[in-house]
Amino acid sequence: MKNRLRVLRAEREWSQGELAKRLEVSRQSVNAIETGKFDPSLPLAFRLARLFGMTIEEIFTDEDRV
Amino acid sequence: MMSTWCISNPAQGRYVGRMFWAALFCVVLSAAAALGIRYGHVTGVAAYLLAVLPAAPIVLALLVTGAYLVEEKDEFQRNLYIQALLGGIALTLSLTTVWGNLEDFVHVPHLDLIWVYPLFWIFVLVAFPVVWLRYR
Repeated sequence: MKNRLRVLRAEREWSQGELAKRLEVSRQSVNAIETGKFDPSLPLAFRLARLFGMTIEEIFTDEDRV
Repeated sequence: MMSTWCISNPAQGRYVGRMFWAALFCVVLSAAAALGIRYGHVTGVAAYLLAVLPAAPIVLALLVTGAYLVEEKDEFQRNLYIQALLGGIALTLSLTTVWGNLEDFVHVPHLDLIWVYPLFWIFVLVAFPVVWLRYR
């Protein structure tokens, strides 16, 4: 699943570590989500959306959607 | 990336602490059972009980691992650990099956079943960095 996490984080000048702290996860988790190697659960996706003041769909792209 | 190799949250700290005591408990009970059989001349029901005794800390260690998976709030870390556990299971079952066949077919030295449990944890430790590297 593609996402705009890296861009959104860069806009706020947050490091991966800072974002991880705000989400209460490890920096490795943020890196794995950013690079698309790990898809977050729905609760974590909601936490991300709340943090950035966006909807989940604005952050994550459903690649299977036609 | 190095923090993956260290304790990065309270759940991991509790897990390491509990596993230390479970491992120590396992070593002490295994040694007690071995010494009891060898030098205590224990027979009958007592011998069966001594044989069962070292299984208690093994069950405890697996309960501690289950508790960690429940307490770990970082789903990515939990995912890594589950994959490492599966890697450990796969390696242990594969190696012991192959070794068993080799004992029958080409008469390699006998592997005592007592080594299966420590081998499992060694293989989990081996699997963890392999899993971790997939997400770099």
